[in-house]
Amino acid sequence: MLMILTPTMMLLPMIWLSSSAHLWASVLAHSMTIALVSLSWLCLPMEAGWSSLNSFIATDPLSTPLLVLTCWLLPLMILASQNHMAKEPINRQRVYISLLTSLQIFLILAFGATEMIMFYVMFEATLIPTLIIITRWGNQTERLNAGIYFLFYTLAGSLPLLVALLVLQNSTGSLSFLTTQFSPPLQLHTEASKIWWAGCLLAFLVKMPLYGAHLWLPKAHVEAPIAGSMILAAVLLKLGGYGMMRIIIILDPLTKQLSYPFIILALWGVVMTGSICLRQTDLKSLIAYSSVSHMGLVAAGILIQTPWGFTGALILMIAHGLTSSALFCLANTNYERTHSRTMLLARGLQMVLPLLATWWFLFTLANLALPPLPNLMGELMIISSLFNWSNWTLLLTGAGTLITASYSLHMFLTTQRGPITSPVLAIEPTHTREHLLMILHLLPLLLLILKPALIWGWAL
Amino acid sequence: MHLTTMVLSSSLLTIFSILILPVLGTLNPSPPGSLWATNSVKTAVKVAFFVSLLPLFIFLNEGVEAIMTNWEWMNTLMFNINISFKFDLYSIVFTPVALYVTWSILEFASWYMHDDPNMNRFFKYLLIFLIAMIVLVTANNMFQLFIGWEGVGIMSFLLIGWWFGRADANTAALQAVVYNRVGDIGLILAMAWMAVNLNSWDMQQLFSMTTNQDMTLPLLGLVLAATGKSAQFGLHPWLPSAMEGPTPVSALLHSSTMVVAGIFLLIRLNPLMDNNPLVLSTCLCLGALTTVFTATCALTQNDIKKIIAFSTSSQLGLMMVTIGLNQPQLAFLHICTHAFFKAMLFLCSGSIIHSLNDEQDIRKMGGLHHLLPFTSSCLTIGSLALTGTPFLAGFFSKDAIIEALNTSYLNAWALVLTLVATSFTAVYSLRVVFFVSMGHPRFNPISPINENNLTVMNPIKRLAWGSILAGLLITANISPLKTPLMTMPFVLKMAALTVTIVGLLMALELASLASQQFKIKPASAPHHFSNMLGFYPSVVHRLAPKTNLVLGQLIANQTIDQTWLEKTGPKMTASVNLPLISSTSNLQQGVIKTYFLMFFFTMILAVLILVI
Repeated sequence: MLMILTPTMMLLPMIWLSSSAHLWASVLAHSMTIALVSLSWLCLPMEAGWSSLNSFIATDPLSTPLLVLTCWLLPLMILASQNHMAKEPINRQRVYISLLTSLQIFLILAFGATEMIMFYVMFEATLIPTLIIITRWGNQTERLNAGIYFLFYTLAGSLPLLVALLVLQNSTGSLSFLTTQFSPPLQLHTEASKIWWAGCLLAFLVKMPLYGAHLWLPKAHVEAPIAGSMILAAVLLKLGGYGMMRIIIILDPLTKQLSYPFIILALWGVVMTGSICLRQTDLKSLIAYSSVSHMGLVAAGILIQTPWGFTGALILMIAHGLTSSALFCLANTNYERTHSRTMLLARGLQMVLPLLATWWFLFTLANLALPPLPNLMGELMIISSLFNWSNWTLLLTGAGTLITASYSLHMFLTTQRGPITSPVLAIEPTHTREHLLMILHLLPLLLLILKPALIWGWAL
Repeated sequence: MHLTTMVLSSSLLTIFSILILPVLGTLNPSPPGSLWATNSVKTAVKVAFFVSLLPLFIFLNEGVEAIMTNWEWMNTLMFNINISFKFDLYSIVFTPVALYVTWSILEFASWYMHDDPNMNRFFKYLLIFLIAMIVLVTANNMFQLFIGWEGVGIMSFLLIGWWFGRADANTAALQAVVYNRVGDIGLILAMAWMAVNLNSWDMQQLFSMTTNQDMTLPLLGLVLAATGKSAQFGLHPWLPSAMEGPTPVSALLHSSTMVVAGIFLLIRLNPLMDNNPLVLSTCLCLGALTTVFTATCALTQNDIKKIIAFSTSSQLGLMMVTIGLNQPQLAFLHICTHAFFKAMLFLCSGSIIHSLNDEQDIRKMGGLHHLLPFTSSCLTIGSLALTGTPFLAGFFSKDAIIEALNTSYLNAWALVLTLVATSFTAVYSLRVVFFVSMGHPRFNPISPINENNLTVMNPIKRLAWGSILAGLLITANISPLKTPLMTMPFVLKMAALTVTIVGLLMALELASLASQQFKIKPASAPHHFSNMLGFYPSVVHRLAPKTNLVLGQLIANQTIDQTWLEKTGPKMTASVNLPLISSTSNLQQGVIKTYFLMFFFTMILAVLILVI
């Protein structure tokens, strides 16, 4: 763990001490090295459970894929923000990269934590850099509103978690993840224990976000600069799913009954947010709502608590992380050229940027879960485990896949196909940097097809 | 390993590598030359066809079938997914047919698309389309089949929307995917059911473990899947819309790939539905309804490609009927023979369309027998084969299907509908031939009519030989899996031919009446019904999307998200707290009197509490 964590921390002096000419290149090279080294986690023997153990942090098959995803995303964020940050003063650029780096440090500590309190602290700590990124580097004035929504939704969800964790500490005497499955089952018969149950899960459900508590997400995504959107969609939402999978083990007898309304709500949310996507005019908002829809499926898969449900949820989280991050990057390449997120103003882009249209197409396919991409494996596993729970869920999940395909292709057709619109006739050609960015998103997705066992978590 | 099995499976894998090689070649950053399409792609398909003859001959000679499992792809908690290929009667016979037809279509496309700047990309798409279809056909487990299934779906999206500047092409492409997705829900249902109840997606395990299970639900899912893919009634409108794509695409889509995938799925999984009468009669009725409905729609169309498209839909209905009769092998036979003449009909129409300067309306054709003798002869051969003229390709499958239908104890309603559709086939086929090649020319005087090009004539010629001989060759060489009924009353034996001839005579009579006006106001309601495709698209294509979009906008977005969730959540919190905040802060304006007053009241309150 420290092999990754220490170099990540050493990024900070590097950012501040390297000369302005080499800032981006050296940070990119450094973070890419970290990302490549972090791949070695995937080689750890998964059957053994925990590994790379020290007294505070460790990895296990559940956290490894998410940790690697976190490390992989930092160089991509740096690549993506290079262009729009170029006009800022050099110190602000340094602050910006430092924030991104600090986010990675917090996330590594959160995913690697072996103690719930440490996880909780890191979970909350990620809010700060994200909030600064959104409210300082966002483009419109609505960014302040988006920041408030982001902060207060998440805090309102997670403060009960703190109390719930203290209660848990009182009754079991330990908050260690390492020993949770060995602790004696809790005696949860009172009404208050149901509230405690809700307190434990609420923070994660808001973070996911569950339908009903999702309003902060589209706002935050729309207003955040590209790096913010990427990390938010790719990793921060996954904190919710990860935390839920960790904590749901100790909630066992209660979850059986109490999770029903949440499963229904999540699946209903898949359909509803999908229908919202069909009517979106704002490109980034569409992608954000599609994230809500996919994460609804993840939430349902976790709450169903079967091995297939967990595995499917983890696969879908990783695959969706890469896909939605890539879609935001694509939306950003459009935005940097047309300075508008409105889809109707920039149509027929295939004529001017043909290679970019290929990337759009590939990631649209990933978004609508084309086999054999990992997105499909995850969805199929979740749908199967939900089907096992109740046959009727197929109506909702089936409608969800239909709607997902519709809006994904609608997005592709509107932005890339059709006659070209006049405002986009004179736009800058694509950069190699942007293509590299897309390839780095696509490559892991394609390679995971060959060995999906890497992101299977516990179900090995 | 036994030598013949080894030759069989290795040559089939060779086909895959030959086909994939050109696709991998395009990853090279330098763009391929202008001859890449013909030199690389067409040659690959041609070579693959000749290679595929080897396993075919081994199969015909020795009856070898093989299953090959290469690689354990994934394994979650005892649930295995392997890369596994199944080389049985269906895949071994279908692969050469598909390759032969595609070879011809590609050669034709090199002429048809020669002025397209992206011809290489077009060929690459066609090739991937073909590969996806072969993956589907040879798959030995549901996951692999699903890969091929979605692969053909998404490639059809790209190919139908090839001329992406046109709104119609984009809509048609989207339509194809959305209708197919509805079908996919059925396939996902079946796969989920199998994973839950059988814990396997391997074909042989499915067949062996389901003998005592009630399979109705997953089988209905499979029927839904086939309905979407094979454009059965209810999910059929995408097929005629798909005519927006270039003609070679239509030819490939309608002959050997994509649309037959649904029927093929049911043929492949037929052992599951063997003894489930409910599902079988669903197939029978669905197929009968499809075949008669689409044949009716074909009667009054004026676009030559639309007529041929509806005839495909009608033939797919017939295949579905055959599945319902529990005669999968006959359905398979019809797939194979249909591939030849349908591809040829499309290529002929493509040749005619180009010759008449992109004119697709049959009312503006006529007399082409003198100007395009070869093309119009082949068009006639294709139409005859389609109607089931004795000893052409269509006869061997179609006649056998209708005989099997006549001698079965099943639904008489379905039988009648199918016979009506059969006679309609003769009607619209004659209509095409009558309007295109007979009579006097009705097109513009200066049309670039020229068919003297080997890249046009050779493919059509090859397919014409196929349309004449394929039925004979296939039926003579494969042995039927189910005992065909050989004796039956004369009337039943001749039923197919009789209704066809009746249809033909009626159509001729109608054609001669068409120029005479007996009534001032003809009764046009039946005509409108047929011409407007039974009003199905105008109802469904407006109602369903509009409901959904209105739901999305009004309910999901405006009512719930923007009003309820936002008003009761963050906005309410703000507005409830705001008066409190503002009155508290308004109090504190630096006026000493207010502070003293507050202090005083607090003291009184404290004293009161202490006293009480």
